[in-house]
Amino acid sequence: MSEKFEPKIVAFVCTYCTYAGADLAGTSRLKYAPNVRMVRLPCTGRISPMFILKALQKGADGILISGCHPGDCHFTHGNYHARRRWMVFRSLLDFIGIPTDRVKYSWISAAEGVKFAELINTITEEIRALGPFTQYHGLIEETQSQASL
Amino acid sequence: MSIEVQYRDRAKELLAKGEVKLVIGYGGGSTPNRRRPVFASSPEEVDRLVLDSLCIANLSGYLVTEGLLSDEKKVAVFLRPEGIRSINILAAENQLNADQVVILGFETAGSDIRPLEGGNVLDFSEFIVTLSENRVVSDSDPVIDKLENMSAQERFSFWQDEFSKCIKCYACRQACPMCYCRRCIVDCNQPQWINTSAHTLGNFEWNIIRAFHLAGRCVECGNCDRACPVNIPLRLVNRRMAVEALNSFDHFAGLSVTQEPVLASFKKDDTETFIL
Ligand code: SF4
Ligand code: SF4
Repeated sequence: MSEKFEPKIVAFVCTYCTYAGADLAGTSRLKYAPNVRMVRLPCTGRISPMFILKALQKGADGILISGCHPGDCHFTHGNYHARRRWMVFRSLLDFIGIPTDRVKYSWISAAEGVKFAELINTITEEIRALGPFTQYHGLIEETQSQASL
Repeated sequence: MSIEVQYRDRAKELLAKGEVKLVIGYGGGSTPNRRRPVFASSPEEVDRLVLDSLCIANLSGYLVTEGLLSDEKKVAVFLRPEGIRSINILAAENQLNADQVVILGFETAGSDIRPLEGGNVLDFSEFIVTLSENRVVSDSDPVIDKLENMSAQERFSFWQDEFSKCIKCYACRQACPMCYCRRCIVDCNQPQWINTSAHTLGNFEWNIIRAFHLAGRCVECGNCDRACPVNIPLRLVNRRMAVEALNSFDHFAGLSVTQEPVLASFKKDDTETFIL
Protein backbone atom coordinates (compact mmCIF):
# COMPACT_ATOMS: atom_id res chain seq x y z
CA MET A 1 0.00 0.00 0.00
CA SER A 2 1.17 3.49 -0.77
CA GLU A 3 2.04 5.76 2.11
CA LYS A 4 -0.48 8.29 3.32
CA PHE A 5 0.00 11.61 1.58
CA GLU A 6 1.52 14.20 3.87
CA PRO A 7 1.00 17.70 2.48
CA LYS A 8 3.81 20.23 2.62
CA ILE A 9 2.50 23.51 3.90
CA VAL A 10 4.51 26.70 4.17
CA ALA A 11 3.27 29.38 6.56
CA PHE A 12 4.48 32.95 6.20
CA VAL A 13 3.74 34.70 9.47
CA CYS A 14 4.48 38.02 11.09
CA THR A 15 6.62 37.91 14.17
CA TYR A 16 4.44 40.13 16.36
CA CYS A 17 1.13 38.29 16.15
CA THR A 18 0.90 34.96 14.41
CA TYR A 19 4.40 33.81 15.34
CA ALA A 20 3.71 34.75 18.92
CA GLY A 21 0.38 32.93 18.63
CA ALA A 22 2.20 29.85 17.41
CA ASP A 23 4.61 30.23 20.29
CA LEU A 24 1.69 30.33 22.69
CA ALA A 25 0.29 27.18 21.10
CA GLY A 26 3.67 25.57 21.76
CA THR A 27 4.05 26.72 25.36
CA SER A 28 0.44 25.68 26.03
CA ARG A 29 1.43 22.23 24.78
CA LEU A 30 -1.26 22.24 22.10
CA LYS A 31 -0.76 19.59 19.48
CA TYR A 32 -1.06 20.47 15.84
CA ALA A 33 -0.19 18.87 12.52
CA PRO A 34 3.57 18.79 11.84
CA ASN A 35 3.03 19.51 8.13
CA VAL A 36 3.58 23.23 8.42
CA ARG A 37 6.92 24.96 7.94
CA MET A 38 6.90 28.42 9.42
CA VAL A 39 8.72 31.36 7.94
CA ARG A 40 8.84 34.30 10.31
CA LEU A 41 8.83 37.80 8.90
CA PRO A 42 8.74 41.19 10.58
CA CYS A 43 5.28 42.09 9.29
CA THR A 44 2.61 40.91 6.85
CA GLY A 45 3.56 43.98 4.83
CA ARG A 46 6.91 42.25 4.27
CA ILE A 47 5.28 39.15 2.78
CA SER A 48 5.82 39.56 -0.92
CA PRO A 49 3.78 37.53 -3.41
CA MET A 50 7.13 36.29 -4.64
CA PHE A 51 7.46 34.29 -1.43
CA ILE A 52 4.32 32.40 -2.36
CA LEU A 53 5.69 31.67 -5.81
CA LYS A 54 8.96 30.52 -4.27
CA ALA A 55 7.16 28.15 -1.93
CA LEU A 56 5.25 26.69 -4.87
CA GLN A 57 8.48 26.46 -6.83
CA LYS A 58 9.95 24.37 -4.03
CA GLY A 59 7.03 21.97 -4.09
CA ALA A 60 4.58 23.25 -1.48
CA ASP A 61 1.06 21.82 -1.65
CA GLY A 62 -0.47 24.56 0.45
CA ILE A 63 0.42 27.97 1.79
CA LEU A 64 -0.73 29.97 4.76
CA ILE A 65 -0.18 33.67 5.18
CA SER A 66 -1.04 35.09 8.52
CA GLY A 67 -0.58 38.21 10.58
CA CYS A 68 -2.10 40.62 13.08
CA HIS A 69 -5.77 41.48 12.98
CA PRO A 70 -6.59 44.79 11.26
CA GLY A 71 -5.85 47.59 13.67
CA ASP A 72 -3.30 45.52 15.62
CA CYS A 73 -0.29 45.82 13.32
CA HIS A 74 2.92 46.57 15.18
CA PHE A 75 3.76 49.00 12.38
CA THR A 76 0.20 50.40 12.46
CA HIS A 77 -0.79 49.64 8.87
CA GLY A 78 1.41 46.96 7.35
CA ASN A 79 -1.45 44.51 7.37
CA TYR A 80 -3.80 46.94 5.62
CA HIS A 81 -1.34 47.16 2.74
CA ALA A 82 -0.92 43.40 2.82
CA ARG A 83 -4.66 42.86 2.66
CA ARG A 84 -4.99 44.83 -0.58
CA ARG A 85 -2.09 42.95 -2.04
CA TRP A 86 -3.60 39.56 -1.13
CA MET A 87 -6.92 40.56 -2.58
CA VAL A 88 -5.33 41.26 -5.96
CA PHE A 89 -2.85 38.40 -5.84
CA ARG A 90 -5.51 35.92 -4.83
CA SER A 91 -7.68 36.74 -7.82
CA LEU A 92 -4.62 36.67 -10.07
CA LEU A 93 -3.67 33.18 -8.88
CA ASP A 94 -7.25 32.08 -9.30
CA PHE A 95 -7.34 33.42 -12.85
CA ILE A 96 -4.11 31.60 -13.70
CA GLY A 97 -5.58 28.38 -12.33
CA ILE A 98 -3.77 28.04 -9.00
CA PRO A 99 -6.66 26.97 -6.75
CA THR A 100 -7.60 29.50 -4.07
CA ASP A 101 -8.06 26.53 -1.69
CA ARG A 102 -4.32 26.05 -1.63
CA VAL A 103 -3.38 29.54 -0.53
CA LYS A 104 -5.00 30.57 2.74
CA TYR A 105 -4.94 33.81 4.66
CA SER A 106 -5.70 34.44 8.29
CA TRP A 107 -5.46 36.90 11.13
CA ILE A 108 -4.11 35.34 14.31
CA SER A 109 -3.12 37.43 17.30
CA ALA A 110 -0.50 36.63 19.93
CA ALA A 111 -3.28 35.48 22.26
CA GLU A 112 -4.85 33.08 19.80
CA GLY A 113 -2.72 29.99 20.34
CA VAL A 114 -5.81 27.80 20.16
CA LYS A 115 -6.97 29.38 16.92
CA PHE A 116 -3.52 28.80 15.47
CA ALA A 117 -3.41 25.12 16.40
CA GLU A 118 -6.94 24.53 15.13
CA LEU A 119 -6.35 26.40 11.88
CA ILE A 120 -3.21 24.42 11.13
CA ASN A 121 -5.13 21.21 11.70
CA THR A 122 -8.03 22.23 9.48
CA ILE A 123 -5.79 23.50 6.71
CA THR A 124 -3.69 20.36 6.80
CA GLU A 125 -6.80 18.20 6.48
CA GLU A 126 -8.16 20.36 3.65
CA ILE A 127 -4.93 20.22 1.69
CA ARG A 128 -4.62 16.52 2.38
CA ALA A 129 -8.08 16.09 0.86
CA LEU A 130 -7.04 18.09 -2.19
CA GLY A 131 -4.00 15.87 -2.64
CA PRO A 132 -0.58 16.89 -3.90
CA PHE A 133 -0.47 19.89 -6.22
CA THR A 134 0.38 17.66 -9.17
CA GLN A 135 -0.18 20.27 -11.86
CA TYR A 136 2.46 22.52 -10.38
CA HIS A 137 4.76 19.64 -9.48
CA GLY A 138 4.61 18.71 -13.16
CA LEU A 139 6.11 22.07 -14.04
CA ILE A 140 8.85 21.58 -11.48
CA GLU A 141 9.72 18.12 -12.77
CA GLU A 142 9.97 19.46 -16.28
CA THR A 143 12.74 21.81 -15.17
CA GLN A 144 14.75 18.87 -13.87
CA SER A 145 14.48 16.72 -16.95
CA GLN A 146 17.51 16.36 -19.15
CA ALA A 147 17.64 18.40 -22.30
CA SER A 148 16.77 16.36 -25.35
CA LEU A 149 19.41 16.60 -28.04
CA MET B 1 -8.46 69.83 -43.24
CA SER B 2 -7.59 66.26 -42.28
CA ILE B 3 -6.55 65.57 -38.73
CA GLU B 4 -3.14 64.47 -40.00
CA VAL B 5 -2.45 67.85 -41.61
CA GLN B 6 -3.91 69.67 -38.65
CA TYR B 7 -1.66 67.84 -36.18
CA ARG B 8 1.41 68.17 -38.38
CA ASP B 9 0.86 71.92 -38.47
CA ARG B 10 0.51 71.99 -34.74
CA ALA B 11 3.67 69.94 -34.26
CA LYS B 12 5.55 72.18 -36.67
CA GLU B 13 4.44 75.28 -34.83
CA LEU B 14 5.43 73.86 -31.46
CA LEU B 15 8.91 73.05 -32.73
CA ALA B 16 9.34 76.29 -34.72
CA LYS B 17 8.41 78.43 -31.72
CA GLY B 18 10.71 76.38 -29.53
CA GLU B 19 7.87 75.43 -27.21
CA VAL B 20 8.93 71.81 -27.34
CA LYS B 21 12.30 70.26 -28.08
CA LEU B 22 10.94 67.05 -29.50
CA VAL B 23 7.75 65.62 -30.99
CA ILE B 24 7.13 61.91 -30.58
CA GLY B 25 4.66 60.63 -33.14
CA TYR B 26 4.03 57.88 -35.67
CA GLY B 27 5.55 57.27 -39.08
CA GLY B 28 5.34 54.65 -41.80
CA GLY B 29 6.45 51.18 -40.73
CA SER B 30 8.00 48.16 -42.38
CA THR B 31 4.72 47.18 -44.06
CA PRO B 32 1.84 49.39 -45.26
CA ASN B 33 -0.32 48.55 -42.26
CA ARG B 34 2.31 49.16 -39.62
CA ARG B 35 3.34 52.34 -37.88
CA ARG B 36 6.55 52.99 -36.02
CA PRO B 37 7.55 55.77 -33.67
CA VAL B 38 9.07 58.91 -35.17
CA PHE B 39 11.09 61.41 -33.17
CA ALA B 40 11.07 64.87 -34.73
CA SER B 41 13.29 67.55 -33.27
CA SER B 42 13.04 70.09 -36.11
CA PRO B 43 10.07 71.44 -38.14
CA GLU B 44 11.43 69.79 -41.31
CA GLU B 45 11.21 66.32 -39.79
CA VAL B 46 7.54 66.80 -38.98
CA ASP B 47 6.55 65.86 -42.54
CA ARG B 48 7.42 62.26 -41.76
CA LEU B 49 4.58 62.12 -39.25
CA VAL B 50 1.57 60.00 -40.10
CA LEU B 51 -1.71 59.95 -38.21
CA ASP B 52 -4.43 57.46 -39.02
CA SER B 53 -6.37 54.64 -37.41
CA LEU B 54 -3.34 52.34 -37.62
CA CYS B 55 -1.52 54.44 -35.02
CA ILE B 56 -2.30 52.29 -32.01
CA ALA B 57 0.91 52.00 -29.99
CA ASN B 58 1.09 53.82 -26.68
CA LEU B 59 4.08 56.15 -27.07
CA SER B 60 4.15 57.46 -23.52
CA GLY B 61 6.93 55.03 -22.50
CA TYR B 62 9.50 57.00 -24.49
CA LEU B 63 9.03 59.95 -22.15
CA VAL B 64 10.72 58.14 -19.29
CA THR B 65 13.85 57.53 -21.35
CA GLU B 66 16.74 58.35 -19.05
CA GLY B 67 17.58 62.04 -19.14
CA LEU B 68 14.99 63.05 -21.73
CA LEU B 69 13.07 65.40 -19.45
CA SER B 70 15.87 66.32 -17.06
CA ASP B 71 16.59 69.60 -18.87
CA GLU B 72 13.06 70.73 -17.98
CA LYS B 73 12.22 71.40 -21.62
CA LYS B 74 8.93 70.19 -23.01
CA VAL B 75 8.22 67.27 -25.27
CA ALA B 76 5.09 66.78 -27.37
CA VAL B 77 3.68 63.32 -27.86
CA PHE B 78 0.84 61.78 -29.83
CA LEU B 79 -1.43 59.88 -27.45
CA ARG B 80 -4.60 57.92 -27.53
CA PRO B 81 -6.82 57.91 -24.42
CA GLU B 82 -4.86 55.04 -22.82
CA GLY B 83 -1.67 57.00 -23.39
CA ILE B 84 -3.11 60.01 -21.62
CA ARG B 85 -3.96 57.76 -18.69
CA SER B 86 -0.36 56.50 -18.65
CA ILE B 87 0.85 60.09 -18.33
CA ASN B 88 -1.34 60.44 -15.24
CA ILE B 89 0.14 57.29 -13.74
CA LEU B 90 3.74 58.23 -14.56
CA ALA B 91 3.15 61.64 -12.98
CA ALA B 92 1.40 60.15 -9.95
CA GLU B 93 4.34 57.78 -9.49
CA ASN B 94 6.80 60.70 -9.79
CA GLN B 95 8.38 59.44 -12.99
CA LEU B 96 7.84 62.66 -14.88
CA ASN B 97 6.55 66.19 -14.51
CA ALA B 98 3.28 66.27 -16.41
CA ASP B 99 3.76 69.97 -17.20
CA GLN B 100 6.66 69.05 -19.46
CA VAL B 101 4.40 66.94 -21.65
CA VAL B 102 2.36 68.50 -24.46
CA ILE B 103 -0.31 66.03 -25.48
CA LEU B 104 -1.47 65.72 -29.06
CA GLY B 105 -4.52 63.65 -28.23
CA PHE B 106 -6.62 61.62 -30.60
CA GLU B 107 -9.14 58.87 -30.47
CA THR B 108 -10.02 56.17 -32.97
CA ALA B 109 -13.22 54.22 -33.53
CA GLY B 110 -12.88 51.71 -36.34
CA SER B 111 -11.25 53.59 -39.18
CA ASP B 112 -12.51 56.94 -37.88
CA ILE B 113 -10.08 59.17 -36.11
CA ARG B 114 -10.90 62.26 -34.20
CA PRO B 115 -8.86 64.84 -32.30
CA LEU B 116 -9.09 65.31 -28.55
CA GLU B 117 -8.92 68.94 -27.48
CA GLY B 118 -6.20 69.95 -25.05
CA GLY B 119 -2.47 70.06 -24.47
CA ASN B 120 -1.67 69.65 -20.79
CA VAL B 121 -2.81 66.41 -19.21
CA LEU B 122 -5.16 68.35 -16.93
CA ASP B 123 -7.17 69.46 -19.99
CA PHE B 124 -8.27 65.86 -20.41
CA SER B 125 -9.48 65.32 -16.85
CA GLU B 126 -13.16 65.40 -17.68
CA PHE B 127 -12.69 63.16 -20.67
CA ILE B 128 -10.96 60.52 -18.52
CA VAL B 129 -13.63 60.72 -15.86
CA THR B 130 -16.19 59.95 -18.58
CA LEU B 131 -14.06 57.00 -19.70
CA SER B 132 -13.96 55.62 -16.18
CA GLU B 133 -17.72 55.94 -15.83
CA ASN B 134 -18.38 54.09 -19.05
CA ARG B 135 -15.92 51.41 -18.07
CA VAL B 136 -17.89 50.44 -15.01
CA VAL B 137 -20.80 49.18 -17.09
CA SER B 138 -18.87 47.56 -19.89
CA ASP B 139 -16.15 45.58 -18.18
CA SER B 140 -17.13 42.06 -19.14
CA ASP B 141 -15.13 40.22 -21.74
CA PRO B 142 -16.37 36.99 -23.38
CA VAL B 143 -13.01 35.17 -23.19
CA ILE B 144 -12.55 36.12 -19.54
CA ASP B 145 -16.07 34.93 -18.77
CA LYS B 146 -15.31 31.66 -20.51
CA LEU B 147 -12.11 31.22 -18.50
CA GLU B 148 -13.85 32.04 -15.24
CA ASN B 149 -16.44 29.38 -15.87
CA MET B 150 -13.73 26.74 -16.19
CA SER B 151 -12.45 24.74 -13.25
CA ALA B 152 -9.11 25.86 -11.78
CA GLN B 153 -7.53 22.80 -13.34
CA GLU B 154 -8.75 23.69 -16.82
CA ARG B 155 -7.62 27.26 -16.41
CA PHE B 156 -4.21 26.03 -15.32
CA SER B 157 -3.97 23.89 -18.45
CA PHE B 158 -5.05 26.83 -20.60
CA TRP B 159 -2.28 29.01 -19.18
CA GLN B 160 0.19 26.15 -19.22
CA ASP B 161 -0.32 25.93 -22.98
CA GLU B 162 0.05 29.67 -23.36
CA PHE B 163 2.98 30.22 -21.03
CA SER B 164 4.90 27.22 -22.35
CA LYS B 165 5.34 29.29 -25.52
CA CYS B 166 6.98 32.24 -23.73
CA ILE B 167 10.63 32.65 -24.68
CA LYS B 168 11.43 35.23 -22.00
CA CYS B 169 12.35 37.84 -24.56
CA TYR B 170 10.92 40.50 -22.20
CA ALA B 171 9.42 42.35 -25.16
CA CYS B 172 6.25 42.76 -23.08
CA ARG B 173 8.24 44.54 -20.41
CA GLN B 174 10.14 46.63 -22.92
CA ALA B 175 6.97 47.75 -24.70
CA CYS B 176 5.08 48.64 -21.55
CA PRO B 177 5.13 52.30 -20.47
CA MET B 178 4.50 51.21 -16.89
CA CYS B 179 7.54 48.89 -16.78
CA TYR B 180 10.08 51.61 -16.17
CA CYS B 181 12.14 50.02 -13.38
CA ARG B 182 15.86 50.32 -14.06
CA ARG B 183 16.33 46.91 -12.57
CA CYS B 184 13.43 44.53 -13.00
CA ILE B 185 12.79 41.96 -10.28
CA VAL B 186 13.62 39.14 -12.70
CA ASP B 187 17.06 40.62 -13.22
CA CYS B 188 17.79 40.65 -9.50
CA ASN B 189 19.60 37.50 -8.48
CA GLN B 190 20.51 37.99 -4.83
CA PRO B 191 18.19 36.27 -4.04
CA GLN B 192 16.66 35.00 -7.21
CA TRP B 193 12.90 34.86 -6.70
CA ILE B 194 11.91 34.23 -10.27
CA ASN B 195 13.35 31.48 -12.44
CA THR B 196 15.07 33.18 -15.32
CA SER B 197 15.01 30.11 -17.54
CA ALA B 198 12.32 30.01 -20.18
CA HIS B 199 10.84 26.74 -18.99
CA THR B 200 7.14 26.68 -18.27
CA LEU B 201 7.64 27.06 -14.52
CA GLY B 202 9.84 30.11 -15.02
CA ASN B 203 7.34 31.49 -17.50
CA PHE B 204 4.48 31.09 -15.05
CA GLU B 205 6.45 32.95 -12.42
CA TRP B 206 7.46 35.72 -14.79
CA ASN B 207 4.01 36.31 -16.15
CA ILE B 208 2.36 36.17 -12.74
CA ILE B 209 4.78 38.67 -11.25
CA ARG B 210 4.53 41.02 -14.20
CA ALA B 211 0.74 40.92 -14.03
CA PHE B 212 0.86 41.57 -10.31
CA HIS B 213 3.20 44.53 -10.65
CA LEU B 214 0.85 46.02 -13.23
CA ALA B 215 -2.34 45.46 -11.26
CA GLY B 216 -4.14 48.77 -10.96
CA ARG B 217 -1.50 50.44 -13.16
CA CYS B 218 -2.11 48.84 -16.53
CA VAL B 219 -4.13 51.07 -18.86
CA GLU B 220 -4.81 48.25 -21.32
CA CYS B 221 -3.06 49.95 -24.20
CA GLY B 222 -2.18 46.53 -25.61
CA ASN B 223 1.51 47.32 -26.24
CA CYS B 224 2.64 44.14 -24.48
CA ASP B 225 0.10 41.96 -26.20
CA ARG B 226 1.13 43.22 -29.64
CA ALA B 227 4.83 42.97 -28.81
CA CYS B 228 4.68 39.34 -27.71
CA PRO B 229 6.30 37.31 -30.51
CA VAL B 230 4.44 34.14 -29.56
CA ASN B 231 1.02 35.75 -29.15
CA ILE B 232 0.32 34.99 -25.53
CA PRO B 233 -3.01 36.72 -24.76
CA LEU B 234 -1.50 38.99 -22.11
CA ARG B 235 -4.50 41.29 -22.51
CA LEU B 236 -6.65 38.77 -20.65
CA VAL B 237 -4.56 38.89 -17.50
CA ASN B 238 -4.27 42.66 -17.70
CA ARG B 239 -8.00 43.04 -18.15
CA ARG B 240 -8.72 40.70 -15.26
CA MET B 241 -6.46 42.74 -12.99
CA ALA B 242 -8.04 46.01 -14.11
CA VAL B 243 -11.48 44.61 -13.33
CA GLU B 244 -10.22 43.50 -9.92
CA ALA B 245 -8.86 46.96 -9.10
CA LEU B 246 -12.13 48.51 -10.20
CA ASN B 247 -14.47 46.11 -8.43
CA SER B 248 -12.53 45.74 -5.20
CA PHE B 249 -11.10 49.20 -4.74
CA ASP B 250 -13.04 51.36 -7.18
CA HIS B 251 -9.72 52.15 -8.83
CA PHE B 252 -9.57 53.16 -12.47
CA ALA B 253 -5.89 53.33 -13.41
CA GLY B 254 -4.69 56.72 -14.57
CA LEU B 255 -7.64 58.82 -13.46
CA SER B 256 -5.57 61.83 -12.43
CA VAL B 257 -2.05 63.04 -11.70
CA THR B 258 -2.76 62.85 -7.99
CA GLN B 259 -4.37 59.40 -7.91
CA GLU B 260 -2.81 57.20 -5.24
CA PRO B 261 -1.37 53.93 -6.56
CA VAL B 262 -3.83 51.22 -5.62
CA LEU B 263 -1.31 48.91 -3.98
CA ALA B 264 0.47 51.69 -2.13
CA SER B 265 -2.66 52.87 -0.38
CA PHE B 266 -5.46 51.27 1.60
CA LYS B 267 -8.75 51.88 3.30
CA LYS B 268 -9.43 50.55 6.76
CA ASP B 269 -12.69 49.07 5.51
CA ASP B 270 -11.33 47.40 2.38
CA THR B 271 -13.32 44.28 1.65
CA GLU B 272 -12.06 40.97 2.96
CA THR B 273 -14.08 37.89 2.31
CA PHE B 274 -11.43 35.23 2.36
CA ILE B 275 -9.33 35.87 5.46
CA LEU B 276 -9.81 33.20 8.10
S1 SF4 C 1 0.75 45.84 -19.27
FE1 SF4 C 1 0.50 45.90 -21.51
S2 SF4 C 1 -1.52 46.79 -21.83
FE2 SF4 C 1 -0.93 47.26 -19.71
S3 SF4 C 1 0.05 49.28 -19.79
FE3 SF4 C 1 1.69 47.74 -20.00
S4 SF4 C 1 1.91 47.49 -22.23
FE4 SF4 C 1 -0.06 48.51 -21.90
S1 SF4 D 1 6.72 39.18 -24.88
FE1 SF4 D 1 5.72 37.18 -24.77
S2 SF4 D 1 7.40 35.70 -25.12
FE2 SF4 D 1 8.37 37.65 -24.62
S3 SF4 D 1 8.67 37.55 -22.39
FE3 SF4 D 1 6.70 38.59 -22.72
S4 SF4 D 1 5.19 36.93 -22.59
FE4 SF4 D 1 7.19 35.95 -22.90
